[in-house]
Amino acid sequence: MKTSNLVSKYHVLFLIILLFLIAFPFVADSRTLTILFTQIFIFSILAMSYDILLGYTGIVSFGHAMFFGIGAYATAILLNTFEPTIGVFIGSIAVGIVLSGFVSFLVGLLTLRLKSHFFAMLTLAISGLLLVVAEKWRTVTKGNDGFTFRAPDIFKDRIVFYFCVLACLVIVFLILRRFVQSPLGRLLIAVRENEQRTRSLGFKTLHYKVIASVVAGVIASLAGSLYAVSLRFVNTSVMAMDITLDALLMTIIGGVGTLVGPIVGSVVIEFAQHYLSGLARDFPIFERWIIFFGIIYILAVIFFPKGIVGSILQALSKWKSKHEDRKIFALEKDKEHSP
Amino acid sequence: MMESLLKLHNIQTHIGQFHILQGIQFEARVGEVSVLLGRNGAGKTTTLKTIMGLTPASSGSITFLNEEISKKPTYEIANTGIGYVPEDQGIFAQLTVEENIKVAMRKETSEAFERQEYVLTLFPDLKKFWKKAGGNLSGGQKQMLAMARAFVNDSKLLLIDEPSKGLAPIVVEKVMEAIMEMKKRTTIVLVEQNFFMASRIGDTFTLIDDGRTVHTGAMNELISDDAMKHKYLGIG
Amino acid sequence: MDLLISLIINGLATGMLIFLLAAGLTLIFGLMDVLNFSHGGLFVWGAYTGVFTYIITESFIVGIMVAILTGMVLGFLMEKLIITPVYGNHVQQILITLGFMLVLQEMIKVVFGPNAIPVKVPDYLAGSWEMGEVIIIKYRIFIIVVGFIVFGVFHYILTHTKIGLIVRAGVMNKEMVQALGINIKKVFLFVFMTGAALAAIGGMLMAPYSGSIYAEMGMEFAILGFIVVVIGGMGSFSGSLLAAILVGLAGSFMAYYIPFLSLAVNMILMAIVLIFRPQGLFRMAKE
Ligand SMILES: Nc1ncnc2c1ncn2[C@@H]1O[C@H](COP(=O)(O)OP(=O)(O)O)[C@@H](O)[C@H]1O
Ligand SMILES: [Mg+2]
Repeated sequence: MKTSNLVSKYHVLFLIILLFLIAFPFVADSRTLTILFTQIFIFSILAMSYDILLGYTGIVSFGHAMFFGIGAYATAILLNTFEPTIGVFIGSIAVGIVLSGFVSFLVGLLTLRLKSHFFAMLTLAISGLLLVVAEKWRTVTKGNDGFTFRAPDIFKDRIVFYFCVLACLVIVFLILRRFVQSPLGRLLIAVRENEQRTRSLGFKTLHYKVIASVVAGVIASLAGSLYAVSLRFVNTSVMAMDITLDALLMTIIGGVGTLVGPIVGSVVIEFAQHYLSGLARDFPIFERWIIFFGIIYILAVIFFPKGIVGSILQALSKWKSKHEDRKIFALEKDKEHSP
Repeated sequence: MMESLLKLHNIQTHIGQFHILQGIQFEARVGEVSVLLGRNGAGKTTTLKTIMGLTPASSGSITFLNEEISKKPTYEIANTGIGYVPEDQGIFAQLTVEENIKVAMRKETSEAFERQEYVLTLFPDLKKFWKKAGGNLSGGQKQMLAMARAFVNDSKLLLIDEPSKGLAPIVVEKVMEAIMEMKKRTTIVLVEQNFFMASRIGDTFTLIDDGRTVHTGAMNELISDDAMKHKYLGIG
Repeated sequence: MDLLISLIINGLATGMLIFLLAAGLTLIFGLMDVLNFSHGGLFVWGAYTGVFTYIITESFIVGIMVAILTGMVLGFLMEKLIITPVYGNHVQQILITLGFMLVLQEMIKVVFGPNAIPVKVPDYLAGSWEMGEVIIIKYRIFIIVVGFIVFGVFHYILTHTKIGLIVRAGVMNKEMVQALGINIKKVFLFVFMTGAALAAIGGMLMAPYSGSIYAEMGMEFAILGFIVVVIGGMGSFSGSLLAAILVGLAGSFMAYYIPFLSLAVNMILMAIVLIFRPQGLFRMAKE
């Protein structure tokens, strides 16, 4: 009874937040904030996908940007080549997803049997390679200069796009929640906790890691598609290390191993980035806002490896158990006093 | 009764979430060979590792020369005067025999070189293969090198883990003779599955089962106690 | 012929710079199982502090000294503050060292400004020798010579001194080294600081070679360093020299003949080695 009570409490909280987000563009009527929120949703999707790897499976990939980039380029190129209609847009998402799924499957199969160090290094190298390809293949990508393209007309209205991205976020969140709560998701956590033991129990851990990497790659690709449309522009920076670092930062600071954590992380980082780069006009040091994040990130890794959400949950459960202890204690005292 | 050198009291050791040692106690007295006996997986190796601080005890006490050592880091424990010959010998495979011994020698004093000379008379093979890589030695030679390495420092106590494991009988005989020689100069705690060997060179025994000390006493006692041998060692 | 020689010299010089970076990486990995993603930060900090000193004092030698000092101090802090707290936890290690790399890189921009800084070769190393058709740039030869000297010195230390012996033994079996009474943490700190100093020297030598320094060069070279460490075999000092030369030469030849593939070829080489021969090209499997 207690847990169901708890769950419904969270449900109510989510519903309130969702209602707020739905009402927001009408109430706030601020173009900047609408765009900022859209950006937050997109990076929430990316960060959640990264957390499937880092938080749930315990894999550190430095190449996540490549899937984001594949999605972004798929959408940009297709919208640029064909008519910018909703149909083409959806088709381009599908193409990005299929490509990313294929690449992540292949890369995962080849690399996921390696130890964590090597895997991190190899993903760094492979995504670096893809970045080079994107830069040199100028006929298609226009390299570092990039190109602008027309988005479907309906997205001319920022608010429509806002809702489209919000819907994607909610759907991805629900799907991923199903995923991590499924037996498969539990297995991924078992891999994270102790790969050796999971393997000795007879599970082919490589398979599960590959599945996690495909799921993460596919979702990252979706985020990339949305990102490209939000900018109506694409260049090789969508494949750069910075994108992976953003996802990493958001996941770590928000809280690994939860789906809400990456969302909170992207809210925090995007807002902070927005305001810090605003401050940079007066105080040039804030141009280097990444330093602050870097330091916070390092401290988080050492002292709060569970991030904001994880730490709050921990504090809550500690507080709760203390509370309950006290209740039990009080009960027992009562017993003592009663004859 | 001789003076106590090493004393373990109610040692508990966890490796990861596993509770491996659940109450080990025994005492090694100066000049004696104390043998740890018990089935495979009983916890003998872990006991030695715990003494060395390689798998530190989570509770209990280990006193060596009347000093508590259970909380010390491994290198300090070694430096208080304990030499360790691990079950897998721990030879540095790409270093030569000479280099293996050199790494071990803490102070290059004349006294240390005298000990080195002495140990080389016990194991003439090592002298012969002085420049050979440790990884290319035979099993018996590796065992000898590991023992020589533990011995070159003025160790007051040697911990030797199953020196006869996997060796041909004739080599075992050599190794055992060397241990008898070393015994004249130092105290030894020996893990030995070969009961015949153990009974020949051991002064006292400690029976370990399931991570616990189940019996400890003079070797003669065990030699005549067929029931105990049968129960814990599956012999006799 | 002249082209061939100049490509070889080019490749060797680049290879030596990568070697200076990779030498520390590989020993740190071999000894402590730590892959330091912030190693490139030492390279770039060595370059900047060294070059600034060089510009102020007009002495290249003093610049190198300062670079070494920077490397050792940063190495000390890095080991104590960044590596030790997460020792033994690979995931945390990877995450934290990468974060520190980022901080080091951005700090360069704060302290020295965000723009690339031009660097000149000191007079006595400037210019070139002409031998018939062949033009040999002095500074490149200088780098190659320094690289070989460093290799020689450290090779001697590793094979002929007690501390070198301990380091090599530690790479093979660190539990046993401790059980022989050696404080491996001290050894590790020593190796870490030495490796950091080598990376800093590499950065400083790189500066006049490439003509300018910029904050991102740390990460760029670190990636080459990783490639070298993998190809040479983690923990193998000599392997890292061979691999660095290979990577340097491959880079220089590819840059001339197939520029498109110049970076790719090394990455592909690393991928192949990692997937099919994880112990490295130049190294026998452990034991
Ligand atoms: N690293 C480890 N992780 C988990 N269990 C271990 C580890 N090392 C030893 N054990 C367990 O501890 C028990 C005692 O092992 P050990 O001390 O090697 O026994 P013995 O030397 O008496 O044969 C065994 O059940 C073994 O499986
Ligand atoms: Mg054993």
